Parts: sequence; C-alpha cells; structure tokens
Amino acid sequence: MVEQAEKHLWARLLAWCRSLAGATVIGTIVIALIVTVDRGGYVLVNTIVTGGMTALVAMGLALTLGVLNIPMFAHGEYFMIGSLTAYYVFTPIKTYMETHPESILALWGPLVTIIAAMLVGAVAGVVSEVLVFRQLRQRSRENWVMNSFLLTVGLSVLMINAHQLFFGADFKGITGYFSGMPINIMDVYISKDRAIAFLLAAVVVTGFWLFMTYTRTGRAIRAVSQDETGALIVGIGLNGIMMLTMALSCALAAIAGASLLFMYPAYPSVGLEPLYMAWFVVILSGLGNVLGAVMGAFMVALLKVMTVEYIGSGWDFVVPSALIIVILIFRPSGIFGSEVRGVLDK
Amino acid sequence: MLLEVKNLNAGYGFLQILRDVSLNVDKGEYVCLVGPNGAGKSTTLKTIAGLVKPMSGDILFKGEPIGGLPGNQVARKGISFVSEEMNLFVNMTVNENLAMGAYTIKDKQQQKDRLAFVYDLFPRLVERRNQLAGTMSGGERKMLAIGRGLMSDPTLLLVDEPSFGLAPLLTENVFQSLDTLVKQGMTIMLVEQNVTKTLAVTDRGYVLENGRIELEGRSDDLACDAHVRKVFLGV
Repeated sequence: MVEQAEKHLWARLLAWCRSLAGATVIGTIVIALIVTVDRGGYVLVNTIVTGGMTALVAMGLALTLGVLNIPMFAHGEYFMIGSLTAYYVFTPIKTYMETHPESILALWGPLVTIIAAMLVGAVAGVVSEVLVFRQLRQRSRENWVMNSFLLTVGLSVLMINAHQLFFGADFKGITGYFSGMPINIMDVYISKDRAIAFLLAAVVVTGFWLFMTYTRTGRAIRAVSQDETGALIVGIGLNGIMMLTMALSCALAAIAGASLLFMYPAYPSVGLEPLYMAWFVVILSGLGNVLGAVMGAFMVALLKVMTVEYIGSGWDFVVPSALIIVILIFRPSGIFGSEVRGVLDK
Repeated sequence: MLLEVKNLNAGYGFLQILRDVSLNVDKGEYVCLVGPNGAGKSTTLKTIAGLVKPMSGDILFKGEPIGGLPGNQVARKGISFVSEEMNLFVNMTVNENLAMGAYTIKDKQQQKDRLAFVYDLFPRLVERRNQLAGTMSGGERKMLAIGRGLMSDPTLLLVDEPSFGLAPLLTENVFQSLDTLVKQGMTIMLVEQNVTKTLAVTDRGYVLENGRIELEGRSDDLACDAHVRKVFLGV
C-alpha cells in the first residue's frame, strides 16, 4: 500500500518533470548552476536576491489581475511609495544611531522601517481601491479590462508627478541598512543588506503562500479569483475581499521597495523598472497565477543577471522583452498555464 | 410563509425580463418554476439570490425584505443558490469547494457535521474529495454544486436546471437526492426544463411565460392542464 503510494508520487513527479512547467523549472536550475560554475557564486546570489524581490512585486501584480481583474500598470508606484516611506522613516533612525550606536534600533531599525513602508503601502492600496477602482466598478457596464487598464496608467502618472511635486525629483537613498563587513559564504561575499533582503522575501513569500492556502480569508481570495459569482453565492463579500487584495498586493510591492532602498533610491519613476520586471514575470508564468509568479520571478532574474554577465548591462531589458514577445506569440497562456483564471478568460 | 415575491420586475440593464412576478414558497415545500426557454425562470432565481437587482417589487424571506441585497448577504440569511452553470471553484479540490460552501459557518463542529451530511448524500464525492473540481464529469460537478449549496445549512435551496447537460441516468440521481432532501424537511425551489419529470416530483408549481406567471397550482393538476400539455408536452 505504502509502496503503491510512493510509486504514485514518483509517477506524478515524473509526469510533472516532463510537463512544460517542470521542464522549465528544472532547466532554469540547471542553467543557474552552469552559470554559477562558469562565472562564480555572485551570479547565483544576484539571481536569488533580484528574484526574491521581483517575486514580491509580481505576486501582487498577479493577485490584482486574478482577483480584481485589473491589468495594473500603477503597481510600480506602490514600490515607489515603499521606498519613499522607508527613506523618510530610516533617515532619522540612522541619524539617531550615529549618536547612540548601542541602541537596539541598530538591529531593529531596518525592520521598523520596512514594516512602516508595508503599512503605508497597504493604506495606499486601500485608498486607490476605494477612491478609484470601486468607483469605476460601480459605473462600468462593459469593457472593464480596458477601462481599468487606462485608469491604472492615469493613476501611475498621477503618483509619479505627486512624488515630484511634493518630494522633489532627486534621488533619496541610503548607503545601506546595516553597516559592517559583508557575509562570506564559500568565498562569495554577500552584503548584509542583500542577505536580509532575500531572507525577507523568502519569509514573506512563504507566509503569503500559507495565508492563501490555509486561512479562511486566503481561501476566500482564491475563491473570488476563480469564480466571482460562486464566491457571492457562498456568502463572500466581494468589496471586502477586493479591498484586502489591493492592500495585500500593494503592501508586497512596498516591502520590496523598502528593502531594496539601498539599491534603488527613492525617486519619482523608480517603480517603472520593477513594474516591467513584474509584467515580464506575470506574462511568463501565466496571467493571474500567483504561485507561478514566484518561479517566474527567479527565471526572469536569472535571465537578467545572465544578460548582464554575458552580453552587457545595457541589454538586460532587451533580452527579457524579446522572450516575452516569443512567449506571447507561441504560448500566450504562460508556461504554468493559469492556476487561477486570469484576465483573458473572463 | 418562508419566501414571498410580490410584483417583482427585474432584468439586465434596460432589458426587462420579469413583469409583475408574484410567488410564494412555504416551509418544507417542493415548488417548481417551469416555462419555455427565455421565459425568465433563471432570472427569477437570480433575482431572489441577489445576483440580479430588482427594478421594483418586494422579496420577503421569513418576513424580512431581501430585495436588492447583494448575493453574499442573501446567502447569509439562509438562501442557497445552485446555479445552472454551477460556478464551482474549478482549481480547488472537492473538499476545498465544500469548505468554501460553509464559509458563513464559524463553528468547526457544525462544519464537520455539514461535510458528513453532504458526503452521506453524495457518496460519489467522497471518492473524488482530493480531485480538482474542474477535472470532474458534469454529473459529479452538479452533485458538488448542490453539495456546496447545502454546506451553509440553508433554509431554502434554489436549484437552477439540475438536469442541464446530464445523461438521463445522472439526472435521475440528482432528482433522487433532491427528493431525499425534501423528505428531510428541506425547502426547495426548482427550475427545470424537463417539465414532465418536474411536475411528477414537486408539490406545487408556477408556469412562467414571457416573464409573467401564467398559471399556478398543484403539480399534478398542472400536469393535466390543457394549456401546459399543449405548450410543454406537445399533446
């Protein structure tokens, strides 16, 4: 009996490996290992850090697509809000730390900063849902996807210019959350900031996955993304779930913005690069597929890192874009299919 | 009176489908709504379930007005709607779908009891409990849809076209389970195209034509009615 179950598991694992999704994942890992052996461990580290953070932004984007059915082009601006909040919260903490180096803030300051950014991001998400998207939802009769898409573009322009108006167009950055020597793992030096950024991404992605799979509210979010009418029938309030989804996905983007402040200083259009990266991921992994977005994020990150490594740093947007064009032509549903129904099937 | 619908007008956008529909359902009754295609049977159920906004008229459930409430609030009052297209969560397993059906129930023990009740009614679902809803056959999905509707321990079950797209044998199964439910005291309002079968099993019926109630009465009387026989049974 046990043997049979094991055999069954192996058969399923084998079948998954032969499927496009499995083959791509395994292929990515193999390529990552080859590149690491060829060029050194830092390639792997870069891929993992970039991938982890891209995963946060892309997961939020996939969620907005799947649950609210909005092709979100303002998602980068929540990343920007995260980095801006982090800058204004962390600068006073840093000044304080210079005079009080023994303060517990030296250890917890960055965490406080990121949590603040997360909260501001969530509030920004709720505000945009209530003031913008809910209004459109109540009035829109047809062409929801196109209308909401245009609205997000407008929102993006508005937020970028509001940033420029109130906070100026200059780069507001920090040298790093943690000072001190980088960590050395097997001859690869990783700055503490990068290590923490990756750890944070890993914790948030795992926590988010557990939330979506095992909690009543997480299941309700998935239910809404799979069938809105079905969700209404079983008693799930759509407005509440949509507000929560916006809060969550914007908080994810803000966390990414805050934890990458040492790499991307806050400036008005800082969100554009993560936004495009996240769209690459979402198209690659299938619209509205939240778990696939995590895998896709690492693939796009690897592709970017490899491009910089072998072709040159100016090309790191060209290669992923070319891949997206190829995918849109040959497999528009993405590599992982669509775990939740995306915007195109509705 | 469990459900009272008075002079209900409803439709989609500018298109009015229902005109002055009045009907009522008593506790424990098995009532059907029959009529030709496009008569507004499904719209009636959807309006009661809160998926279509009424233009005018009242819907009272246990004496409380529910007309115009959104679907999730109607569901919380104790009305379960099993739609024609089923609206299952296709990427969730049977178990997860049923768990979602009990979304409004907070008590863990009651959730377990409901699950046991549904699995008892549809033993087929037990075998399939870890299968994704989207990969099941039409009959199994119909059972799952009804099962999910029962998970919230509803007072009134609205069932839309349970036989739609099913093989005769499976239709028979579904009708049998509805029969079992009524015998256990459930109140059911059924919309069906299979008029002969429906009038044979239900207590009372309404005939809907062009958005209006044309006839109402006991099901066996309706089955003998000259108009019904001419329009639906072709005799």
